[in-house]
Amino acid sequence: MEPNPYIPKLTKIIQIKEEVGGARPIKTFRTQFLNENGFSFRCGQCAMLSVFGKGESMISISSSPLVKDYLQFSILKMGRVTSSLHDLQEGDIIGVRGPYGNGFPIEKWKGKNLIFIGGGIGLAPIWSVLHTALGKKEDYGKISLIYGARTSKDIVFKEELEELRQKIKVHLSIDVEEPEWKEFVGFVPVNVLDKKPSPENAISVTCGPPIMIKFVIQNLKALGFKDEQIYTTVENKMKCGIGKCGRCNIGLHYVCQDGPVYSWAELKNLPQEY
Amino acid sequence: MEKILRKKSFPQWVKKLESYRIYAPTKNGDLWNYELINHSEDINLDYLNTVLSPKKIIFPQRETFLEFSTSNNGNPEIKEVLPEEDPSLVFGVRPCDAKALTLTDQVFGGDFDDLYYWRRRNQTVLVGLACPTPPSPNCFCLSVNGSPHSKEGLDILMSDLGDRYYVESLTEKGNKLLNLAKKLFEEPKAKDKKDLEKIQLASEKKIKRQIKETKKIPPKLKEMFDSPFWDEEAMSCIRCGICTYLCPTCHCFDISDEVLSSSPLEGKRVRTWDTCQFPDFTMHSSGHNPRPDKASRLRQRILHKFQYFVERYKNYQCTGCGRCISKCPVGIDIIEVLNKVRGYGT
Repeated sequence: MEPNPYIPKLTKIIQIKEEVGGARPIKTFRTQFLNENGFSFRCGQCAMLSVFGKGESMISISSSPLVKDYLQFSILKMGRVTSSLHDLQEGDIIGVRGPYGNGFPIEKWKGKNLIFIGGGIGLAPIWSVLHTALGKKEDYGKISLIYGARTSKDIVFKEELEELRQKIKVHLSIDVEEPEWKEFVGFVPVNVLDKKPSPENAISVTCGPPIMIKFVIQNLKALGFKDEQIYTTVENKMKCGIGKCGRCNIGLHYVCQDGPVYSWAELKNLPQEY
Repeated sequence: MEKILRKKSFPQWVKKLESYRIYAPTKNGDLWNYELINHSEDINLDYLNTVLSPKKIIFPQRETFLEFSTSNNGNPEIKEVLPEEDPSLVFGVRPCDAKALTLTDQVFGGDFDDLYYWRRRNQTVLVGLACPTPPSPNCFCLSVNGSPHSKEGLDILMSDLGDRYYVESLTEKGNKLLNLAKKLFEEPKAKDKKDLEKIQLASEKKIKRQIKETKKIPPKLKEMFDSPFWDEEAMSCIRCGICTYLCPTCHCFDISDEVLSSSPLEGKRVRTWDTCQFPDFTMHSSGHNPRPDKASRLRQRILHKFQYFVERYKNYQCTGCGRCISKCPVGIDIIEVLNKVRGYGT
């Protein structure tokens, strides 16, 4: 009998970390498969998480494939399923099926400088690819991160970002001025123009809200990046994850299968419906 | 395998097929639909076409994927629920509806086989009935690589020759049905073949509606993505979604959890048909909606069928059954829309 793609595997939540509180809370969950061997995945791929009785939600895997003993998901409380995930405790069981999508073509980026540009919860998919590149740092050129959130309280992975400064250049921003804030104030696309990353031998990867992505790409183009040097991830509503239910369809693509990772060279030729 | 079956022998053939679960067009009020048949005499092939295509037998409007509950140790446990193994056959499948299943086959196959779809698909024999006259005034199969006597997707094609059926078996599954009642079938004679040809030719001529130069439509649609045309065409749409619910090729669905008891947890995960014509189909939980208006949703229906599907699977995702035209409450007519597209801006 072939595997049934709609049946999730059971996993146990082994750790929950509160990243951001307030009205737009974010928590990071680590899960371990209960019985079966898990699955191997590529950075940038997603998994469908199940809270039984509530439903399923497609979430990007924020841990690196180099980490073998757990899967990590950083989740903004937003809809029905993500809200119920936020109510769970360590030790609770959720379903996971996947991995889905194409992932980042990180093998093709060897020898290049990597500029990661994230906004809000968009740091989650970046986190996986960033740490995969850092795990083989000698294979890549200079690695840097430009990341911003609405306020200093909305920044995810705060401690980890401080540790990251020991290894790579990290440029943070918040949208509006705060008394203690010493770094950039303004939207992420503006910080990109301010830091002026060089397009020479570089690949940029940007993840965040659709409006941020739009202006980041515009500004990267202004800095001289070619379409093939700009990568992003597309988020669309998904139900099946396997290219059948039709929700994430844009043009001839199903984002769950053919995406979520696109170069701007590919994405600009698809209908702008994301 | 080609045979002749006298019409009076038809019920006897059906009697021999009792090991199958048999579906056939059944009249309820003024409407025909495929229903399970208990007696061979109940089959009446004097219908035009059914409201819903036999897609609903292979891919039902609602089905259970799995059941979940709380196990003894307090953790959730899940049980896979697959369709029963039960050989089925469908009588009176129109050629357009059979072809439609060859299109949904492509979607439900690929890298991930949809086990629910394939279990039903593989155990179902499709016995077609050619259309001597168009079942609907809006039939346009000839415009989308089909015909009123197309064999595509069928196991058997029956053609009505008046007092007898011309029966062509096209697959192993079909041969098996004929072999169960060998004595009832006769070898076709030259006259039978001649009559068949005559009827087929006449049936094509009776189809009045057409999309002109369908081949030119996909590249034209690609150019028209940002055109105000879609606002004009979608103006009257009341977003009821009937065009997609009745379509034999539409396959979009929702997956949701239904809870019977929250403590201890008991419920099931179900798949139900869904439609790109509903506003919340693409709406993110943030409220952001990539297809926020009627125009973008009508455009999605038309482009998915006549551009995207062509690009991905090399076929129109439409078999010309005309249901979406006949049943649209505000008269949106895909033939008219596409004929306007072809000449738009020239």
